Parts: sequence; C-alpha cells; structure tokens
Amino acid sequence: MPHLAIDNLNADYGATPILRDVDLSVERGEIVAIIGPSGSGKSTLLRVLTGLLKPRSGRVEIAGEVVNYTSAAALRKVRDRFAIVFQQYNLFQNMTALRNVTIAPTIVKKRNAAEVEREARALLEKVGLSHRIDAYPDEMSGGQQQRVAIARALALKPEILLLDEVTSALDPELVAEVLDTIRTLASEGMTMLIVSHEMAFVREVATKVVFMADGRIVEVGPPAQIFDAPQTERCAEFVRRILRH
Amino acid sequence: MSYTLQFGQVTPYLGYLAGGAWLALQLAAIAFVLGWAIGLGCASTLHYGPRWARWPIRAYVVFFLNTPLLVQIFFLYFALPDWGILLGSFQAVVLGMSLNAGAYLTEIQRAGFNSIRQAEVEAAETLGFTRVQSIRYVVLPHILKVLFPPLSNQYIILTMTTSIAAIFGVEELTGRTYNINAQTFRSLEIFSIAALYYVVLTLIASAALYAVGRYFFRIKRSPF
Repeated sequence: MPHLAIDNLNADYGATPILRDVDLSVERGEIVAIIGPSGSGKSTLLRVLTGLLKPRSGRVEIAGEVVNYTSAAALRKVRDRFAIVFQQYNLFQNMTALRNVTIAPTIVKKRNAAEVEREARALLEKVGLSHRIDAYPDEMSGGQQQRVAIARALALKPEILLLDEVTSALDPELVAEVLDTIRTLASEGMTMLIVSHEMAFVREVATKVVFMADGRIVEVGPPAQIFDAPQTERCAEFVRRILRH
Repeated sequence: MSYTLQFGQVTPYLGYLAGGAWLALQLAAIAFVLGWAIGLGCASTLHYGPRWARWPIRAYVVFFLNTPLLVQIFFLYFALPDWGILLGSFQAVVLGMSLNAGAYLTEIQRAGFNSIRQAEVEAAETLGFTRVQSIRYVVLPHILKVLFPPLSNQYIILTMTTSIAAIFGVEELTGRTYNINAQTFRSLEIFSIAALYYVVLTLIASAALYAVGRYFFRIKRSPF
C-alpha cells in the first residue's frame, strides 16, 4: 500500500483551474521531487495536501486512510500528518527559535512543556542550531531561519514532510546548509515531497521526479529518466532550458 | 534685557501647580484610553466589519482629522446644551479630546491591522492552531509591537494637548499657570516652570513607555 495516494485531484483559485486530474502515488520513505515551470501548480499541490486550499474534487489517502478536507476539525487532523516548510520560512517573528519549535506541540497537542522543550532542543541540534536557540528570527540568517522552520515542522512528528521551494529565497552560500539538513532527513527515511529548482540536488536525493505543467502531471520517473531521457516533449524542453544555466 | 527673573515670588505656588500637572496627566490618560478604545473599535470594523458600517466611520475620521480640536470642543460645550446635553467643562474637554484622539488612533490602528503577516497566520494554520490561538499567539503580539511606538507618540502628544482645557476654565497645568500669572505678573518665571512640568510629565511617560516597549516588544529605539 502506498504511503500517500493522490487520486484525480482538482483544485481552483476562484474560477481558474490550477490542479487538473492529479494522480500520484508515493511509497513510504520515498523522496518525490516536483519540478516544472512557474505557475504549473507545484506549490498549489502542496497547499492542497496540507489543507490551505480546498480541493474541488479528488481523493487523498495516507496509508490507505482517506484524508478529510471538509471541516475545520477534520483539517486539524490533516495537520498531524503533513507538515509544510515554506519558501519564506514564515517563522513567528515574536518568538525565539526554541519557542517557534515548541509552541505547536505545547498549545496544539497540549503536551508536557519540559518534554517538548527537550525534544525541541534535540531537533534544533539536529539542524545545527543549538547555539541559536534563544535568537529571534530577525537576528538569524535566511539559512538559519529556514532550518528553524524545518525543526518547527518536525516537532509535530508528521508522517509526510512537504518542502515548498525552501531554498529559493536564500543566498547561494546558504543553500548548502539547508540542503544538508534535508539530506539527513532523507537518510532517516522520512517521506518527503519537495518542490525545488535545485536540479543537482533533486537528481541526487529524489527517488522519483514529477514534472508538472499547466496544473497537470506530465511525466513521472526516476531522476535518470527525467533528466537524461525524458519521454515527453514538454519535459524534455523544460529540462533542456534549465540545465543550460 | 531689563527683565529681572524673580523666582522667589512664584515658588509658593509650586504645589498648586503640581496639582494642575496631576490633572493634566489624568486628562491625557482618560482621553488616551477612550480614544484608543474608539480607535480599536473603528479600525477593526474597517478591517473586518460590513461595508455599510465603514461609511459612518470614515465620515467621523475625516471630520475629526480635518477640524481643529478647539473648534470641536467649543461645539460640544456650547452646541450640545441646545439638544439638552449639558456638559461640564472637564467633561466637554475629555469628550472632545477622546473623539479627536479616536480619529487619529483609528488611522494608526488600521495600519496595524493592515500589517498582519498573512504568511505567519498560514503557518499557524498548518501547524494546527485554532483561529483563537492564531490571534492570541501570532496576530495580537505582532499588532501590538507594530502599534506600540505610534501609540506612545500619540500619548505624548495628548499630554501637551491637555493645555487646551485652560480655555474652558479647567484648572489643569496651563489653567493654573494663568491663575498664578494673574496674581503675580511673573509671567516668564511661571511659564518657564510650567514648561518644565510638561517636560517632566512627558519624560516620565517616555521612559515608562520605553521600558515597556523594550521588555515586551523588543523595541530597541532610544526613548529620547
């Protein structure tokens, strides 16, 4: 049974269809990279999965269980299973790094504060930030903020991690530290969906690459296929264009 | 300059003047709290409320921002009795200052609502925060931090504005200064001392606001 099964998913922004008949199957521990031109629906797919945008139709299953996107209460359950990290980090500016990581387990899960803090410290150490625990977001670099955001997402122990262009807003020299963090998670068997423009990284870590255009999945395959022998003209053209840079 | 400063003649009145300063402080504080409440109500209605409710609020703000406070208080003091509403001079001044401050504070707080970072609210949502938790932990701390400096400034301005109450016979700091001047004719001395009292009032407020801002909102700008 796949860990994540997306079946015939459709979503719109107002009257504009933005996801069309998306089907995707992800096995446990797989790292799926989603690539494609801007406006192709990559980020929207992640937003729908995490419940920020309601799907018009279709079905999402996690480990065989249908995900319910209909009510606010149901949505809060969705949030246990998916965690998302955004391009712009979106950390809570009024909280320290540690508080950013502990707040959700404390107030959403109502878990024991001391235990949550112990775990948060371990998570921040894992992303290499044990020395910045008391720093506020505006005192940290972009790469540090993004690593705090990853720790914050992991604090709820999600089943599937969604990464939405997490290095796109970073200065080039800060990209590596964030990618290293993602590599560590990959080696631990976390199931991940990664929207990324870092093609070298995608080729290295992804077990599967999804090419999207105009809200549809155009081609799916292992990195070697997508980058070296794409089967569709659209994908071939896209790969040609980005690999030239 | 042939004028010889003689502070000795006004020193007996320092206690009396301090009483005026105390009244000025009360006027500023009451007008600020009422104006803040009016402004919060109006600003949140402008941001979240129904379309029809925005019109009267806009009219109120435009009217009070574009007429002098003195004229507004005169209106309350002399025109309202015609409609059977009789205000004492203190009440008229407090009401006028509150309504006037309310208009300014509507605009200031509207900016606070407009500055809510939707991305942070979204992050809270994906972490499973309820709407109330998101307002309590993310939206409010942000708005308060953004609004704290302009609200502090507004309070300082209100402290100075209280001197207008003297015109209506309220014996606050400026009113009592007039009284002492009329008895001693030591204008330069007594008005210098009054100015000093105002400086003390605003410096105390600035220092207190600075401490609050630094402690609660990590605002690092210098108070003076």
